[in-house]
Amino acid sequence: MSFMHLSFYSTFALSSLGLAFHRTHLISALLCLESMMLSMYIALSIWPIENQAPSFTLMPMLMLTFSACEAGAGLAMLVASTRTHGSDHLHNLNLLQC
Amino acid sequence: METTLLLNTSLLLTLAIILTPTLLLPVSKTSSNSPTTITRTVKTAFLISLVPMTLFMLSGTESITSYWEWKFTTNFKIPLSFKMDQYSMMFFPIALFVTWSILQFATWYMASEPHITKFFFYLLTFLIAMLILTIANNMFLLFIGWEGVGMMSFLLIGWWQGRAEANTAALQAVLYNRIGDIGLILSMAWLASTMNTWEMQQAPLPTQTPTLPLLGLILAATGKSAQFGLHPWLPAAMEGPTPVSALLHSSTMVVAGIFLLIRTHPLLANNPTALTLCLCLGALSTLFAATCALTQNDIKKIIAFSTSSQLGLMMVTIGLNLPQLAFLHISTHAFFKAMLFLCSGTIIHSLNGEQDIRKMGGLQKMLPTTTSCLTIGNLALMGTPFLAGFYSKDLIIESLNTSYLNTWALLLTLLATSFTATYSLRMTLLVQTGFPRTPTNPPTNENNPMITNPITRLALGSILAGLLITSYITPTKTPPMTMPTTTKTAAVIATALGIALAMELSTMTHTLTYPKQNPHLNFSSSLGYFNPLMHRPNTTNLLNSGQKIASHLIDLSWYKKMGPEGLTDLQLMAIKTSTTLHTGLIKTYLGSFALSILLILSTQT
Repeated sequence: MSFMHLSFYSTFALSSLGLAFHRTHLISALLCLESMMLSMYIALSIWPIENQAPSFTLMPMLMLTFSACEAGAGLAMLVASTRTHGSDHLHNLNLLQC
Repeated sequence: METTLLLNTSLLLTLAIILTPTLLLPVSKTSSNSPTTITRTVKTAFLISLVPMTLFMLSGTESITSYWEWKFTTNFKIPLSFKMDQYSMMFFPIALFVTWSILQFATWYMASEPHITKFFFYLLTFLIAMLILTIANNMFLLFIGWEGVGMMSFLLIGWWQGRAEANTAALQAVLYNRIGDIGLILSMAWLASTMNTWEMQQAPLPTQTPTLPLLGLILAATGKSAQFGLHPWLPAAMEGPTPVSALLHSSTMVVAGIFLLIRTHPLLANNPTALTLCLCLGALSTLFAATCALTQNDIKKIIAFSTSSQLGLMMVTIGLNLPQLAFLHISTHAFFKAMLFLCSGTIIHSLNGEQDIRKMGGLQKMLPTTTSCLTIGNLALMGTPFLAGFYSKDLIIESLNTSYLNTWALLLTLLATSFTATYSLRMTLLVQTGFPRTPTNPPTNENNPMITNPITRLALGSILAGLLITSYITPTKTPPMTMPTTTKTAAVIATALGIALAMELSTMTHTLTYPKQNPHLNFSSSLGYFNPLMHRPNTTNLLNSGQKIASHLIDLSWYKKMGPEGLTDLQLMAIKTSTTLHTGLIKTYLGSFALSILLILSTQT
């Protein structure tokens, strides 16, 4: 595939692996989410340029809006977990009794 | 006609007289059931029982009477029937005579016993059971008598209940007798199912009897008469008081097994396998017991082994298909064996409870009457010509020598005969002769007529009984008349060799010291290692296999492991490995999510 495709796929894949295998802090998961969002934004922005179709130019703006909401929600959860559990260590986020 | 009436009446009167003290028991004041009363009852019964015996001797009358029939099922009826043939009519006076003497002796021997009336009661109940066994015409009554004597034996051996060895010995007696009872019940079941009767006259078949019921009968005789294999209870039964040993374990109870075989001999007569088995078993028992008696040091155990040896000899006679001769030996043996036991009882009491012959000696001067009768008894046991034992024992050995039989059985029996002489002479030498090895002032006293009368009466019987019985009873089978001189004197020669051996050995013990332990001495004095080899391993194996099969195999293994618990174990392995995945952390889920995406991508492109 072309260089662009490779870079976008690899960025997205690396970010999702980073999301899946985060170790201690919740904030690193959120950062990886942001990088996933970033790679998707750049890919969506390059798309109308490559295909010479200006009507798809709105899509990255929509995506950005929703990712901002999602980032805000993630940060709110981070703050909430810090308030209740004292830190954002991931082994606190466990509903199991045992 | 009057003969049979007199016969039946007198025999029934005997039985009724014997039963009287038991019927008076609910109404007893102390005077009506004392030991002297019971002794007098038995003496009266003996005198009355002489009447049917005399009738039989003079006219050969036999009779079978039957009262009241128990209608068990429609075609299997069990009558209460008494058989008065030569065996029962000869046995009654002999048993009653011996019992009378023993009871008279026991009034002196057990004089310091607080429950002496109960003791006499037990002896009387035993006698009743034995007489029922003798006079029974069907296996049902015989079984009643059989169980009765077994039970009374248990009660009497464990008379001194505080003594642990007495309880063990009583239990041993009951267990070994029970194993024999299995055989008896087996043959009774066979009789009931095949012959549809328990009457002994209806039993014989024209063809050869199948071996299975005969094996049952032989097993019953092995248990009751202490043949080899089921023999340890008899020496252990010496834990009981001496009158018990004299009555039960010398004259009457132990011959019940042989008596059973005598009664059922028409069944045995045409089955050579069973006869050979009796022969070899009897020969083995007689030799084994005689070997064990050689090194015993307890006077009662020597006499017990001597009884065991003579029982083996009776079994050998049954194996030769000569039941009448076996019965003759039973009769003569009763006299001298009971007398030997009574003499040993006197010696034990006179030495204040000493039973070890190594601590006796020189009693010939201290207890002249007793030791003279001891000598007479030993001579009769050895088969000295023309005493009581000679008539039966010599005939048996002659018949052995002139029959077509197993040579090994013959050799064993001859060897046992010489051993009999050896241990009897050893006992005599150690007890009666030499210097006294007792403590210095034993309470020897035989001036009481309660002691001397029974013993001298039995001594008279030991001398005369053989002659009297053989003179008046016609043999049913022709005894062997001609044989070479060596064969004729074989028994006497064997006995003489045994005596010579004993004399040599006794001089050796005075002059030389023999080595402390040798295997033969160990074998003989530990009764052939039979007791430790059989008692522990048999019970351990039986209980172990029971535990393995019932508990381990069925309960634990099949109901649990193959069922619910095995399933649990299988599931547990899978559960343990997957528990680590179910921690509830997001990371695991996301990790598995990523892994599966990677897998799909790698397989797609």
